[in-house]
Amino acid sequence: MWALFLVLFLPLFALPLLVVLGASFATHWSGVLPSGLTTAHYEAATRGEALEALTTSLVTATTASLLALATGTWAALAAAALKQRHRKALDALFVLPLAVPSVVVGLATLVAFSQPPMLLNGTRWIVIVAHSVLVTAFAHQSVSAALARLDPAYEQAAASLGASPAYVLWRVKLPLLLPSLTAAAGLCFALSMGELSATMMLYPPDWTPLPVLIYAATDRGALFTGSAVAVVLMTATLLVLLAVSRIRTRASYR
Amino acid sequence: MSTASSGIRFDSVTVAYDGNVVLDALDLTVGPGEVMALLGPSGSGKTTALRAVAGFVRPASGRVFLGDRDVTGLPPYRRGIGMVVQQYALFPHMRVADNVAFGLKARKVPKAEIRTRVAEALDMTGMGAYARRHPRELSGGQQQRVAIARALAIRPDVLLLDEPLSALDAQLRSGMLAELARLHRELPDVSILYVTHDQVEALTLADRIAVMDKAKLRACGTPTELYRAPADAFTASFVGGANLLPVTVGTGGVSFGDAEIKADTGGVARGASATLCVRPHLVGLGDGPNRLTGTVREIQWRGSTHRLYVDVGGHRVMADLRELKAPPVHGESVSLHFAPEDAVLLPAGVSAGEE
Amino acid sequence: MALLALVFLYPLALVVQQSFRPDAGGTSVQPYADVLASSAFREALWTTVWLAVAATAGCLVLGFVLALVIAFVPFPGAKAVARFIDVFLSFPSFLITLALLFVYGTVGMANGAWTDLTGAEQGPFQFLTTPWGVLLAEITYFTPFVMRPLLAAFSQLDTGQLEAAGSLGARAPRIVRQIVLPEALPALAAGGSLVLVLCLNEFGIVLFTGAKGVTTLPTLVYGKAILESDYPGACVVAVVNVLISVGLYGLYRVVSRRAGA
Repeated sequence: MWALFLVLFLPLFALPLLVVLGASFATHWSGVLPSGLTTAHYEAATRGEALEALTTSLVTATTASLLALATGTWAALAAAALKQRHRKALDALFVLPLAVPSVVVGLATLVAFSQPPMLLNGTRWIVIVAHSVLVTAFAHQSVSAALARLDPAYEQAAASLGASPAYVLWRVKLPLLLPSLTAAAGLCFALSMGELSATMMLYPPDWTPLPVLIYAATDRGALFTGSAVAVVLMTATLLVLLAVSRIRTRASYR
Repeated sequence: MSTASSGIRFDSVTVAYDGNVVLDALDLTVGPGEVMALLGPSGSGKTTALRAVAGFVRPASGRVFLGDRDVTGLPPYRRGIGMVVQQYALFPHMRVADNVAFGLKARKVPKAEIRTRVAEALDMTGMGAYARRHPRELSGGQQQRVAIARALAIRPDVLLLDEPLSALDAQLRSGMLAELARLHRELPDVSILYVTHDQVEALTLADRIAVMDKAKLRACGTPTELYRAPADAFTASFVGGANLLPVTVGTGGVSFGDAEIKADTGGVARGASATLCVRPHLVGLGDGPNRLTGTVREIQWRGSTHRLYVDVGGHRVMADLRELKAPPVHGESVSLHFAPEDAVLLPAGVSAGEE
Repeated sequence: MALLALVFLYPLALVVQQSFRPDAGGTSVQPYADVLASSAFREALWTTVWLAVAATAGCLVLGFVLALVIAFVPFPGAKAVARFIDVFLSFPSFLITLALLFVYGTVGMANGAWTDLTGAEQGPFQFLTTPWGVLLAEITYFTPFVMRPLLAAFSQLDTGQLEAAGSLGARAPRIVRQIVLPEALPALAAGGSLVLVLCLNEFGIVLFTGAKGVTTLPTLVYGKAILESDYPGACVVAVVNVLISVGLYGLYRVVSRRAGA
């Protein structure tokens, strides 16, 4: 069983990541191992265009996940206060972006914001809007799942002590939801960092996120440079996720 | 706090979920400073009654009064009630002192006053030394004390306790019972509504007990009244346990199968069917007044007592006897007796038929 | 609510509207007739569906086996594996394709090893730019999506039940078939339909293989809109794609709710 597991698991899941990592340091790869070790790709990947793309991705992902978190949390809280039937309708509405292909979300955003009253085409905002729409569904889902698990006894205890609903929300519910909120934020961030399909439909020339850059590099055959950029992308994502999970452990310890 | 502002009154309160009546036209008054226990099995509606006072369930009809204030339509946070629930519901992200201060901060009490009142509430529950701890660093009993301190800090006129001891083990429970009794002596003006399914808790703490079953109030009275002279068979068996014997009323006594039993028949008409209630610990072994003979079906040794289950003419009679040196054996024929004044005759109404 | 309607529903409605507006002007079903009749669309539809179905089947089998091992064969680092899966899921899908390019590409690892060993001109692995390459990448990337619900389901399985079955003399394959599989069925169904939807909508993997021969509905949308500027056509394909995906996603919700109950 063990051996079977290793045979299946390692080549399938671990190898791809290692290969990308290895390729990012190489100039040739025509044997079993990469050859021509170099860090030149990283110099390229942390300069000029690539550095700009990294900032673009980080800004987009941060903005989109914060927007999504705010909207998703608000919607989840509002839904919890609604009647059963309305709640179901709202939930269904919010998970719809999960089912609609992101390319279509891209297309839809493109069509909608290329005409008045909202002319956003060609600006960075169209990318951020599309990303927000895409990840809001995830934020909403994880927050409403956490909300459903929250013991109503806390809320009721607070209310019996004379706390108004707003005070309960601010002092009891949100602090108790904090671990789930940060987890949702991390998820949204990672998704937005790696989002390619909708972005491909929308990005203006001066707002090129990392995935698009990676695609452009591989498309013109610069596979090794692409790998280096991909490693930068993975590292940035991982670092942010790590930071978020540290906030989370502190929040749940409190 | 004036007398008029405290106390709880249920005025024909009915609660239904999806057409399912869980509390049926409850009429009950808890006086200022009184401890009222709502006693009943699970699903009897006792917790629903408490939640109607707290404001977490809305009655389908009827009114709830706190003192002379009609609070039926008020949201929970405007009712000014202290509440302690089974799982304590301490806020895990706040220290003990912040938990206790929560209600005061929510009411915008001045800071200096908050400090003194938190200290006072924590001292009263013996938790003064734990103010800086987090709830998860406390034992169950300690969390319970903090929950009580938190409820008392807002100085409520009414304190609601929902099965507050059921999450504690037996030893802690009897300690906390004594503690609650002491708190009540220190706060003689606070009305307490105490929901429990444990008759010992109810008998120990309550000034009066309201017995509930199947969404209805079955009986209400002091522990002594309910124990000595239960109004119906359900109350008799739920408060303290009882032998309930189907009898026919005669003159100056009743007949139970072949046996003639002397008992106070009160105003019950001759020839009527009724139920005779005798507490097991008042039944003696051997010859005596009101002798019943039967066969021993089961013997349980409970340390200080023996419980005998004796088959008398097809009915089971329980007897709790001081530890016997030579207990009867299974299948042995024995005689039981009880004093005529220890038997209570209950009219064989609907309630007895339900059992 | 209004905000979401504005940025999500309104654009979608516009897409539907656009799909009924040919470039010539007016409102007609002409774009639908054109697109549905075109062989490119039919081919893309067929490729999308069979790729998604095959990838889902592959993920289910592989995910079941892997989850079984992680859940029931005790070994050090099982926790690390579970964490690794989570991290894996947070990376974009096209990374897998990128890696596969190095492994199985024309000048990649596998072919390089083959030519080194045999001295042949070309390696035997030429499938990467065919649908099979896409299939391999999709199975690799989406298998964790099946494993997660399965692991959750297995963790709720009563080990006492398994031990009882073992003590009654049932062998491992029999235990798996008669006890584990029925318990895992809801999770399998839920994970499977999720993967099916995701595969139908997958874009990055297909785009990155650089396989001009492989066109799926999402890449067709992209191609029509960006490369050919045929917006009505793109919108028609989009509407079809949305209908399929949303229908399947609805199914997934129903199934997963039943699994949760």
